[in-house]
Amino acid sequence: MKQLTIDVGGTFTDCLVLEESGQLQRFKAPTTPDDPTQGFFATVDKAARHYGRTLEQFLGEVEQIVHGTTLGTNTLITGRGAKVGTITTKGFRDIVEMRRGIRNLHGSMFDMFVDPYRPLVSRRRSLGVEERTLYTGEIFTPLNEEELRAAARKLLDMGCTAIAICFLHSYANRENERRAKRIVQAMAPEVYVTASHDILPVFREFERFSTAVISAYIGPALTRYARRLQSGLKERGCNGRLLMMLANGLVQVVDECVDRAVYLLNSGPAAGPYGASYLGGLHGKNNLLSMDMGGTSFDVCVIKDGEIPTTADSWVGEHRVAIKMVDVPTVGAGGGSLAWIDSLGLLRVGPQSAGADPGPAAYGKGEDATVTDADLVLGYIPADYFLGGDVRLEVNRSHQAVARIGSRLNMDAKQAAVVMYTAINTVMSNLITEVCTKKGHDVRDFTLVAGGGAGGVHAAAIARQLSIPMVIVPRVAALMSAFGMFTMDLGLEYARSCARREGNLDFGEISGLYVDMRRQAREDFARIGIPESQLAYKPTVEMRYVGQFHEVEVDLPAEDLNAENLKTLLANFHAQYEKLYTYSMPWRAVEFLTYRLKVTAARRPVEMVALGRTAGGVETARRGSRMCLFEGDSRPLETPAYDWDRMAPGHKVSGPALIDDKTTTVLVPPGFTCEVDAYHNLVMRAR
Amino acid sequence: MAPIDQITLSTIWHGFQSLCREMRTMMTRTSQSYLISALKDLSVGVWLADGSTVAVPEGLPSQFLGTSFTIVDIRNMFKDDLHPGDVILTNDPYHGGNNNHLPDWGYIRPVFFEGELLFFTLVRGHMIDTGGSFPGGYFANAYDIIAEGLCIPPLKVIKRGVVDADLKKLIFNNVRWPAELMIDTDAMIATGKFAENRIVQLLRRYGKDTVLGAIHEMMDRTERAVRAEIAAIPDGTYTGESSTDDDGTILDQPVTVRVDVTVKGDSVTLDFSRSDAQRPGFINSVYAPTYARATAAVIINLDPALAEFHNQGSVRPITVIAPPGNVTNCKYPATVGACPVNCGTQVLEAVVEAMGKARPERSIASWGKHRGDYTFAVDPRTGERYVRTSFDYDGSAGAVWGHDGMTGPTSLPTLGWVQRGSIEEAEIRFPWRLLNLEARPNFTGHGRWRGGLGIDWRAVNEGGDGRMSTGSSDGDFIQGKGAHGGQRVPRARTFILRGDQKIRVKPHRVDPFKKGDTVVKLSPGGAGVGDPWLRPIEEVATDVENEKVTVEAARLIYGVVIDPVSLQVDQQATAKLRSSPPEQRYEPVINEETLEIEIKPMGGPAEAGR
Repeated sequence: MKQLTIDVGGTFTDCLVLEESGQLQRFKAPTTPDDPTQGFFATVDKAARHYGRTLEQFLGEVEQIVHGTTLGTNTLITGRGAKVGTITTKGFRDIVEMRRGIRNLHGSMFDMFVDPYRPLVSRRRSLGVEERTLYTGEIFTPLNEEELRAAARKLLDMGCTAIAICFLHSYANRENERRAKRIVQAMAPEVYVTASHDILPVFREFERFSTAVISAYIGPALTRYARRLQSGLKERGCNGRLLMMLANGLVQVVDECVDRAVYLLNSGPAAGPYGASYLGGLHGKNNLLSMDMGGTSFDVCVIKDGEIPTTADSWVGEHRVAIKMVDVPTVGAGGGSLAWIDSLGLLRVGPQSAGADPGPAAYGKGEDATVTDADLVLGYIPADYFLGGDVRLEVNRSHQAVARIGSRLNMDAKQAAVVMYTAINTVMSNLITEVCTKKGHDVRDFTLVAGGGAGGVHAAAIARQLSIPMVIVPRVAALMSAFGMFTMDLGLEYARSCARREGNLDFGEISGLYVDMRRQAREDFARIGIPESQLAYKPTVEMRYVGQFHEVEVDLPAEDLNAENLKTLLANFHAQYEKLYTYSMPWRAVEFLTYRLKVTAARRPVEMVALGRTAGGVETARRGSRMCLFEGDSRPLETPAYDWDRMAPGHKVSGPALIDDKTTTVLVPPGFTCEVDAYHNLVMRAR
Repeated sequence: MAPIDQITLSTIWHGFQSLCREMRTMMTRTSQSYLISALKDLSVGVWLADGSTVAVPEGLPSQFLGTSFTIVDIRNMFKDDLHPGDVILTNDPYHGGNNNHLPDWGYIRPVFFEGELLFFTLVRGHMIDTGGSFPGGYFANAYDIIAEGLCIPPLKVIKRGVVDADLKKLIFNNVRWPAELMIDTDAMIATGKFAENRIVQLLRRYGKDTVLGAIHEMMDRTERAVRAEIAAIPDGTYTGESSTDDDGTILDQPVTVRVDVTVKGDSVTLDFSRSDAQRPGFINSVYAPTYARATAAVIINLDPALAEFHNQGSVRPITVIAPPGNVTNCKYPATVGACPVNCGTQVLEAVVEAMGKARPERSIASWGKHRGDYTFAVDPRTGERYVRTSFDYDGSAGAVWGHDGMTGPTSLPTLGWVQRGSIEEAEIRFPWRLLNLEARPNFTGHGRWRGGLGIDWRAVNEGGDGRMSTGSSDGDFIQGKGAHGGQRVPRARTFILRGDQKIRVKPHRVDPFKKGDTVVKLSPGGAGVGDPWLRPIEEVATDVENEKVTVEAARLIYGVVIDPVSLQVDQQATAKLRSSPPEQRYEPVINEETLEIEIKPMGGPAEAGR
């Protein structure tokens, strides 16, 4: 039986097939934004034809499909989500619109000329009802069901297709929210109803409400899509399991994730680091920088000691998402990034992108110079073999576009292209430095794993800027997310907030929270046929010094907290705090805020087969040469080009060299060597 | 040396910018001060050894744009006696501290490279206490600055890496909540150390000459861009003025800041000489914060594309004149407790008004005033004393040319930087239960572009009896101005509800409250830009649909006739109404009996309403 991963990106739908032999096959088809299931089946169809099967025959041989989709993120960013109504505690209907302040912390404080925040739910569709729970969990005012029904009726009359119920302190006692949800569901079974405690049962109302509203906003579209996909697969004879990839780095069956749709944000990009971690492991490396440079954005993830980091501090556009997501900071840098001259007369590249339409000047539509154009002018990417020859690039158009920007700086096209190439690399290097040093790591201790269609051309230059000694360009670089999905665990996360100081902990109470979370996990997993014996539990607690406002998450030393292991926990907290912030305050009492439980069921690990060495030398893979200009040189160098498909383990080249493939190109600049590893990945090292 | 290439220039520049962002993140994640951590009342930055501002991307302008003066004074004070590992603390407005007011404690660290002093870093945050008569600062009627709290002139609290234990004991023996203040002190010192490490790394990598060369190059480029912007403003003198309700000592008598902004060629002079003389009350400002706010007000009027660059080059074309003895440049030992709000806001508003006259397309209307208070009592749950302050009850932003103001607690002197806290977090922390935090329809300055909506904040005291000091409030009487026909900010009100009693609480007072009292704050949104009569009909209709503007206000203020049931615009009636300017203008006013927002005819400027 075969396993598939399918990643629907903005431009391409990638499909990886893991054969019974452990070999991987790669397939790509254009994404079909109006109905992404078409692109999904188109790429599966390509795979089927590769094996000489019909689509139905092929799907019958598929045991499992892991699927990532940008549908959630796109629905949110393009504003094409459901008409959502919210029902809140009376007196607090504007919590989401007010956010925490008028800026979401990304804009400059000196820029006053910005539009007000446009919430997903306009004010008339945000209604308050009488109810109130206290921070202790005590119900101070029971839910006024009459008011609730009236509010729901009003929202339904306005045509809302999704309703988010957001009550204060519902994390401490979900009774009022749960009751309200049941009533609304009974009134309108066809409407997508969500309650904030279902999504994120953690204190801080703005963050919880905003996350719940986003979940409701993208929920209906994702539910429709997932159901259509499920039935489409069934009709085509697929009996395998369909798993969706979640923002937190886990995968889950469709039925479990449609009700918590917000977890389907970033489904796809969050998988890259898992693939990088796996590949780094093959080389014995567990300090990795996973990068993915595509058409419009550059994602990076710092993997220290093999641990893939998560964060609850994300924004998607102007909207706050407070669930834990794989920490993949992103910056607008990719093949489509546009060059421009800023108000101080400096050449900049990105974050604006020419996107897929018009795309880089080389594609024949756009006029403005992009990174792809600069790469083409410099000879780094092949005009005749871009995406295996599917896209023909027009060198002259690129040349003209880059020359236009260069003329404003008194540079010729080649000089300007070098500056663009370096500028975009600097943008990416800065992001890497920022995320790495923020965590207190020295970037030189890391290995760069370069994914994304444009990653191979830029990776070595970034490594040189940052003094990173080793770069791995995976064979699946252009399908990095799809690859990562093979390596992720099936799982769910649970959380309960309960604020207590160190001296006032009630071990029975904490134990009760975990009993409850484990019970819920058993039920959730039983529904998808996974027995408790296969579950692994990871309990953590978010703690801080009394008085602080931000927590540090620490592993619980055992499944139950007691007076004895509390000491270990506190010592671990001080140590972790010190690691993060360079100092700690053991003299200060600690408080406990949120208890978390991550429950996973391990999947069968991917086993890739090592390939043997072949007799022929690397010259057998030579496919020609291109004239390339490198930074610091005055004239182009003749640079040999090789065909990655025909290269074999052990083959080694010295820069300058180019390695082309139907999905990407890898540039080995002067000063680097490059070797093919046993799994057909490329490993570059600075000489 | 050879000119620095574009790439190195950008790399070094963005290195400093991202360093400042990281410093801010580190502070907010480690501090225990509600103001610093949740509300971001915090500033960080990097200066050259001569005091030139290198990077100040985030924070409160009043806390950092004037820091150049502090650094120059520190250099004069300590001369050669500055060493690696030294940390200097100051909160003093006088004696070389050049500070805003006493609660803002700044930790300054000289940064050395190969034995040479090259930079200073600053981390400055609003501490929850600084001694003085009442907890928290911002209380009216102190006799002099000594009574306002502990005055710390620039002093080395750490010498060559060694903490001065005696000094530490003295300082923390004279503040309330010493353990809490120590947490924030540790956080600020660690953040400065972190910044030092990063700067040294940068110097090692690129070399001293290249790093300093890049900084000077960026300053020169920024200066050229700012001068070009100023040169585009027609030469002339533009005036602005703004007042606060009173000075907290002589009650109900407004205090006014006046500015004459003279644009000549590519430079600009801001002259505050015509402002009121310094006052017995606590609304005075020393020169450095006046300078900081005045220059910030010019900067925000410039091309937003420059927003991410500002540095010493931005302020070189700007001269600020404030004669000693003036409310904008008070003399020792005048009190300055309220300075960040009053007359700090007034300095900013006066300049913003004048600049908006010079350049209508960059007009910024007044925002809602800060409505802060310091509430102090005992929390019966712990038996411990607490002080609580917040931005949660502030009103909203004013309009700017081209954009409505945002709804959400904010105020202009922070440039919208501070944040509201979390209601749930506050209820865990303080014995007050929130009854309401919601926008109020109509309660804003209307205009072609209108302010964000006003805020209705109510909470009930479930703790013990205590007092509230409203020193950081303003705007009960004086109304912030609109621009180019935009309406002014409505008046604000605060009440204590006790049984059937409704007790009015004015700004700049200290009032008692009791267990069970409900505090109500009605805080207006900001002022408008442009005539509301010219606001596009569909935008008015959308506001009505969204319950931001009522049908009545749409007709009386905007001249848009909307059916109250169907919410459809009556195009014909609207066209007729709008065919001529209105005979009578209307504006929102709080009805003090019902606490409703009513639409009333606009009267003369000196109408009653205190």
